[in-house]
Amino acid sequence: MSTAALLQSILNGLALAGIYILVALGLTLVLSIMGIVQVAHGEIYMIGAYSVYYMFVALGLNFFLAIVISTLLIGGLGVFLERSCFRPFRGQPDRALTISIGLILILQNVVLSIAGGHPRSYTSPFPGVLKILGISISWERLIIVLVGLVLLIALFLFIRTTKTGQAMLAISQERDGAALQGINIDRISALAMFLGCALAAIAGALIGALFSIYPTMGSFALMKGITVIILGGLGSISGAVVGGLIIGLIDGVMPVLTTTYIAGLIGFATIIIILIFRPQGIWGHE
Amino acid sequence: MLEIEGLTKFFGGLAALSGVDMRVKPGDILGLIGPNGAGKTTLFNLVTGFLRPTKGRVIFEGKDITGKKPHSIAAKAIVRTFQATNIFPDFTVLQNIVLSCHLVPKIGLLETVFHTPSSRRKDEDILQRSQAILELVGLDTMADVAALNLAHGHKRILGIAIALAAEPKLLLLDEPLSGMNAEEVSETMRLIDRLWQSGITILLIEHNMRAAMSLCQRIVVLNFGRKIAEGSPEEIKGNNEVIQAYLGAGEYAP
Amino acid sequence: MNKRIMISLLSYGILIVCICFLPFFFPGPYHLHVLILTMMNIILASSLRLINLSGQLSLAHGGMMTIGAYTSTLLVMKLGFSSWLALLMAGFFPAVIACLVGFPFVRLKGIYFAIVTIFLGEMIVLTAGQWRSLTGGSSGIFNIPRPNPLVIPGIVNITFSSKVDFYYLAFVLMLISLLILYAVENSRIGLTLRGIQQTDSLAESVGINTAGFKVLAFTIGCFFPGLIGGFYSQYISAINPDTFGFLFTIYLLVYMTVGGAERFIGPILGAFILTIFPEVTRPLKAFVPFFFAAVLMVVIFFMPEGIAGLPERLHKAIRKLLEKKTNHA
Repeated sequence: MSTAALLQSILNGLALAGIYILVALGLTLVLSIMGIVQVAHGEIYMIGAYSVYYMFVALGLNFFLAIVISTLLIGGLGVFLERSCFRPFRGQPDRALTISIGLILILQNVVLSIAGGHPRSYTSPFPGVLKILGISISWERLIIVLVGLVLLIALFLFIRTTKTGQAMLAISQERDGAALQGINIDRISALAMFLGCALAAIAGALIGALFSIYPTMGSFALMKGITVIILGGLGSISGAVVGGLIIGLIDGVMPVLTTTYIAGLIGFATIIIILIFRPQGIWGHE
Repeated sequence: MLEIEGLTKFFGGLAALSGVDMRVKPGDILGLIGPNGAGKTTLFNLVTGFLRPTKGRVIFEGKDITGKKPHSIAAKAIVRTFQATNIFPDFTVLQNIVLSCHLVPKIGLLETVFHTPSSRRKDEDILQRSQAILELVGLDTMADVAALNLAHGHKRILGIAIALAAEPKLLLLDEPLSGMNAEEVSETMRLIDRLWQSGITILLIEHNMRAAMSLCQRIVVLNFGRKIAEGSPEEIKGNNEVIQAYLGAGEYAP
Repeated sequence: MNKRIMISLLSYGILIVCICFLPFFFPGPYHLHVLILTMMNIILASSLRLINLSGQLSLAHGGMMTIGAYTSTLLVMKLGFSSWLALLMAGFFPAVIACLVGFPFVRLKGIYFAIVTIFLGEMIVLTAGQWRSLTGGSSGIFNIPRPNPLVIPGIVNITFSSKVDFYYLAFVLMLISLLILYAVENSRIGLTLRGIQQTDSLAESVGINTAGFKVLAFTIGCFFPGLIGGFYSQYISAINPDTFGFLFTIYLLVYMTVGGAERFIGPILGAFILTIFPEVTRPLKAFVPFFFAAVLMVVIFFMPEGIAGLPERLHKAIRKLLEKKTNHA
């Protein structure tokens, strides 16, 4: 296999990694602050994709504007969901899980009935390639990696430097203790859902530029998101980043080296093994 | 009967228990005391298989039981009670005991599913044993009450009854008197004494100093995961190191 | 007590007779199909509940059904097994797999157990889709033979050429399955599982092998989806890797939750209502998933013990009302 093909697949892997990291970050934010695995996260991602699709294709909005508006709207949806569905069940993760499952059904079918079940795709707003050192790097993939990087740094800075960010960190480590310190858990939970859903929506929007979208695309994102956060350690941002990079690169490179089947199988098996033998992930704490 | 050699447990960098040696002879009633965080419950957890020791051994009746699973240690007739999760809340008091008669008698999986005559006889057996145990601890009038509705003191007594159902030779009681009023304390002390008289070897963690001193023949004192003293209650009362340990931790001295 | 048992048995007897005569009232193939699906879902939801009794949420049912379907099909078509033996194997093979993976799996708590069962299911579907030579790949297998005829000379000659025969087969399977599940639950095994679900450390301390029992529940619980998968393959005559996917498993969870996971009759009610209702309201087919989700939400928010818990709720509410009245009197 040529170096060019290998480099190409690595770039694909990085783009995938960018998407996976965004999804995983959103998932782990909600998990560490609200204590629930929001399994409808994939559906939020899917709604992000469809929302941008409609704004960009049907309404003709500028692509970035479409992303910004969609992100804000979907973030708002997240806040609504937190208030109505998850806040009443704070501390009861089993019931919250079942509610999430119900959300999967609702969200998937809303989109299904509005948009129909057939896959849709659109020509990328960033056509063309950049030629460096004999390989072609598609602009789209580059944009994805860049956007991912920017958001990551922004999130990192937010948590490290702002008071709210520090409050989020406190809650993720010790929920009850944080409440005692006067941190408003309601507000922070709402913020976590906002950010989490926003990140998922952006990821969905970006992937819509690369691949076709369909109403059940959410389960793919959910599986990848769960895989990444288990690998990297729950509640760990750096873990989500490193985990996302690993999984993304594997998904980008493996199919070129072996069959997609083996790659998929290895992926699932690895997570199962990690959960059983090192449940805190590679970077997590006990 | 029970020998603990150099038992050590590290959690990350923190030594919860450090090189503890102890011996319990059959028929003993031994108290384990120490300030909060001294490692008493950790010792119970290590002995009964709920935690694996980092170093050291636990030997029971000559056999090494270090690191075995809790249910197999229970099968060797070492049974412990818990401070927190000590009852089956959604079962009735009677059901709590009936379930806990799991080891004695042994009912096979198939025979219970098919309700064979032999399994029905064993069920009868269990019912009688359960009622007897409830009478012994004084909970027989509450047999049909849901366990979670019991008063706190009764819950702790139920915890002891549950352990009794497993027919222990060695009974490890983890703060059985916690949260009890004076009357409950003296009743439970009488119960523990009766259990000891009937031949059960007892190892008792207690914060209630008076109770521990009056019930137990020997006391072992732990502090910061180490054994700092061992002896009769009188010896311990006068032991300076022990007094220091409690004063230093801000608790009342023995 | 005797009188109560008599009344119970009598009502069950009447119920069984009614079910036996249903095909005469709904002879059309469509109606029969719905009834067969209902009975399948009753068995599936009830077996899901057995695993749930020990406090574990399993989302592997879809995968187990897939294994069962392919097991039965391959045994019959490639190895010439009798369809009845194949059906039995369709149940046992997933149970064996569940037992093997069960031991490491049950160490995981709560959602993580659910996650590994989901992943297990995904691995199964992936394998079924890719192992061309064995499973025919993603297009699946067609022309699966119907079950071998049941012949007792002079009395019965069932050839399974019509839906009615499958109806009665499904009915018999349902009776046997529910009987087994009920017997297991009402034995000491059921008591032990419930104890483990409440306070598993306490159960360990009295000598209960909690891991072993959880694996037992998982193993028995995974037998039935396998069995139904095998039945389905012989009924529909075609299977493919996506027939029983993640979404299908979620629907089973909804049946169990809406019906009420606490009581034995819960999943039966849930599966019955949620399978029949969408078919009865055919014209509004597009709204079915919304209806499901709405019902699920209502149950979670307002009736966590499910529909099966309604009678008790009503009872309590009425009693409260009466108390208020007598207090004012």
